[in-house]
Amino acid sequence: MKKLMLLLIALLVLVTGPAALAQEEGVTLRVLVEGGGISLQLAAAQLFEEQTGHTVEFVEVPYPSVFEDLAAEMATGGSAYDVATIDVVWIPAFADFAESLDALITDEVAADIFPALLADGLWNGSYVGMPTWANAEVVYYRKDLWEDPDEQAAFMAEYGYELAPPTTWQEFTDMAVFFTRDTDGDGAIDLYGTDVKGAPPGADVEWMVHVLQAGSPGVVLGADGSIIVDNDAHLAGLEYYVSHHCDMGLTPPNPLEIGWAEGESLFFQGVTAMTRFWGHAYRLHQFDLSGGLVGAPYLGPDAVANVGVAPMIAGEAGIGSIPGPWFNIVPKTSENKEAAMAFVQFMYDQNVLGVQEPLGLSARISAFEQFAGEENYESLSALIATLNGPQTIGRPLVANWQQVSDEVVVPMVQDALSCEVAPADALAWARGELEAMGFM
Amino acid sequence: MSRRAPGPGRLLVYALVAFVMLVYISPYAYMMLTSLKPPEDALAIPPHILPRQLSLDSYTRFTSDAEVPRSFLNSFIIALMSTTLAVALALPAAWAISRYGSWPARVFLLVTLVTRMIPYIAIAIPFFALMRSFRLTDTWLAVALAHVTISLPLAIWLLAGFLEAIPSELEDAARVDGCSRLAALLRVVVPVAAGGIVVTAIFCFLASWNEFLYALLLTSVEAKTAPIVIAGFKSQYSLNWGSMTAVGTLYSLPVIVFSLFMQRRIVAGMTMGAVKG
Amino acid sequence: MSRSDRRYVLLLLAPAAVFLLVFVAWPLLNLFRDSLYEVALLKPGERAFVGLDNFQRALTSSRVGGAALRTLGYTAIALSAEFTLGFVAALLFNSLGRRSELLRTIFLFPLMIPPIVAGLLWRFLLIDNFGIVNHILQQLGLLASTSDVAWLGDRDIVLFSVALPDIWLTTSFVTLVLFTGLQNIPVSLLEAARIDGADALQLFRHVTLPLLRPVIAVVLIIRGIDAARAFDIIWVQTEGGPRFASEVLSMHIYRTMIRYGDLGFASAIATLFLLALLALSLLAFFVIWRPDAARGSA
Repeated sequence: MKKLMLLLIALLVLVTGPAALAQEEGVTLRVLVEGGGISLQLAAAQLFEEQTGHTVEFVEVPYPSVFEDLAAEMATGGSAYDVATIDVVWIPAFADFAESLDALITDEVAADIFPALLADGLWNGSYVGMPTWANAEVVYYRKDLWEDPDEQAAFMAEYGYELAPPTTWQEFTDMAVFFTRDTDGDGAIDLYGTDVKGAPPGADVEWMVHVLQAGSPGVVLGADGSIIVDNDAHLAGLEYYVSHHCDMGLTPPNPLEIGWAEGESLFFQGVTAMTRFWGHAYRLHQFDLSGGLVGAPYLGPDAVANVGVAPMIAGEAGIGSIPGPWFNIVPKTSENKEAAMAFVQFMYDQNVLGVQEPLGLSARISAFEQFAGEENYESLSALIATLNGPQTIGRPLVANWQQVSDEVVVPMVQDALSCEVAPADALAWARGELEAMGFM
Repeated sequence: MSRRAPGPGRLLVYALVAFVMLVYISPYAYMMLTSLKPPEDALAIPPHILPRQLSLDSYTRFTSDAEVPRSFLNSFIIALMSTTLAVALALPAAWAISRYGSWPARVFLLVTLVTRMIPYIAIAIPFFALMRSFRLTDTWLAVALAHVTISLPLAIWLLAGFLEAIPSELEDAARVDGCSRLAALLRVVVPVAAGGIVVTAIFCFLASWNEFLYALLLTSVEAKTAPIVIAGFKSQYSLNWGSMTAVGTLYSLPVIVFSLFMQRRIVAGMTMGAVKG
Repeated sequence: MSRSDRRYVLLLLAPAAVFLLVFVAWPLLNLFRDSLYEVALLKPGERAFVGLDNFQRALTSSRVGGAALRTLGYTAIALSAEFTLGFVAALLFNSLGRRSELLRTIFLFPLMIPPIVAGLLWRFLLIDNFGIVNHILQQLGLLASTSDVAWLGDRDIVLFSVALPDIWLTTSFVTLVLFTGLQNIPVSLLEAARIDGADALQLFRHVTLPLLRPVIAVVLIIRGIDAARAFDIIWVQTEGGPRFASEVLSMHIYRTMIRYGDLGFASAIATLFLLALLALSLLAFFVIWRPDAARGSA
């Protein structure tokens, strides 16, 4: 028995040994990222390697695995990662495991970061995450339809105002109604005004932008952790969102099968005239026409040429959206903290490089503004306007947000979008579930 | 019975079978056809069955990226490692079970049977912690070891069936010639059972090649296997059916073609496990 | 059996036994231990012993109960479809005799496809708005509109829909095993019964079925265990939705453990799942199959 164990251990050493011996002078930083994180930081990381002699090894995993890998890593006290680029929703879960970055975030640094992002990286009075880039849902519309003189005239005649990208709830609805039609005369609708998302990811967050636009101070839970999921703004926002599907039939059928990815495809395949989607897609697809991007669905020049981007619409309380910022954190278990801090600082300094990447995102106001007017960057001004919107507010920072989202928010939205449960009843159910989870 | 011209009943059976085959093959055929469409057509609405034009773009789009080839290599090496280990561990145990059916052997057979019934998710997390403490996460070995927990019971079960067919006189004869028992097992029994061992190895290889959950939890970059990469083509923000169908085809087609050549042996192995138990 | 024989047997069993102890038994012991604690995945160091509280929570949770019922439902759907289709196909092949070899070879291929690819592929086929299945059904005039059946969005049918790739992948296994079982039935027995005046149906009921019983039992048990453990093939199609209508136990445990980080509670559910599966399959094994009897007769 003992001999066998020894043999086994010898075997383990034999297989893993060479990797352990391969350390050279510079430090090797292992950075956990999702696909988007790697492309936005690759160029800057190469500069970092050249200037410091360190090696940066990106560990690229699918979106859910970022959380799962890091969670499993933390669970076992591992130190495989020196830096992790994480979604804002995971900040509370990992805040206690992240080094304070207060030293890096000077007044000067803070002034150049969108305020909503800075707030999201703050935990118990200390900055644990350095914003790396920000994203937000904006309005995508079919430029070819909006710029068509016939459509413009017909719209003017019917609604009495110019056909332009929508800026308010009413305009958005009007235009969705206007473009929902049977284009080939076979009796079935084949162009829908917009879409609604009933499958995660998408079902969890998208309806919330309207809750914020209606003036809610936050979504689902207030800043103090109290339940606000059934306040008037939540009801107004959910009713508005659901009405396009249940009452007016402006959206493709069976929304419970449609999440962000499906919604994007429907829009780019010409099935919807407008869609709410994250701001990065415009530049991504522009870029893809020349390059051939690994991992991005290629759309072809026609679909891309027809895309226009406008800021997220405004409700009574103004423009509002859910920002999707990502942060660099340094796990406390990192064995190369000094180099890791230097890396995080460097990523902020060179943040503008991210704007030139296919995803075209940054966390710095100055970086966005530098490119906003240029060709192929037309979506940036819409993104800036949305991120600066008065009602652009992050999701609540609670450690079990994932559970709240999976167990309460998504089923609630699916109930409402099934059109069998009234929005008010769905929200009341959500309150009950949240109370059962211990929220007040 | 065999030389009669097919009657109408027989023809009906043929037609029925042909129809079932068509339905059975069509999902895979549709996947291959989709991989040959230009990528922007992969998600066209309404969908078309046949490509409007043939294109290899879905295949060439990721040739610039080392991730896909590397994941194929990882899958291959991990499958080889786990297969070797599983067969090496299973062979003596199976011999003990089929040659000396004493109570420890029977108890052991029951244990492997019970192992076969454990939900993967129940072992996955504590297994991950164990690999962590050995500092083995994201290595070939960690995934291979995890896969052996799946394939070892299978290998023991299959090999015990194959070895049962070998007369014990064979070992006895070798021992009369002066071999030790272990040498008799290796020099006489193993060559005779080679066919069964190959079949067992194929099944172990397949179990590892196609596995997802352990690979998902245990790998991040270095040892990431192809199923994880394929799953990544459906990400948060995009559906990438073009690449998914292309990589899915590349990953499964060689195994399918290989299995067609090995058909008789594979069927023998499969039915051995179930029919002979 | 001599003493040296017995030592030799133990020596032969030792490598595999050590492996199973280290890599299966030890993780399982850790699972059992964690199930007695209130412990978060992220903070395994901070644990509080809570006895059987987690088990009480699991047994009274409607979410766990629902997932358990759906696991049974999913297993029943997959198993009955695979068995029915597989049996019919095996009988067809059997009636063709040796001429079915090429067809059987073709029939083998889905077994080689990774479940993850099968799951994604079927999602691609079934998903409303994009999928080819509804498109074809509409072209054939079976559906008025491609949105009439929401395979993956309708709570009432989603559990059936997510079982389709599983059925597609493993019906061939059932077919091939049953086919071999049918081929192993001695022709003389069938001839004798026929001479006694039995018609085809009687032959099937009184000769074929009884002789096939051990094979049928083992197929059902093997496939039943695999269907009950299913995870990845459903996860990539729906992540358990809509509204948990396709969430089976493996998935609920995964969600609780990985996404919610509730290690103690998840370990308790996993322990219960493990015990239930063991009890059910061992019961099936000894009651229906009787391994020794089957070994003798096959």
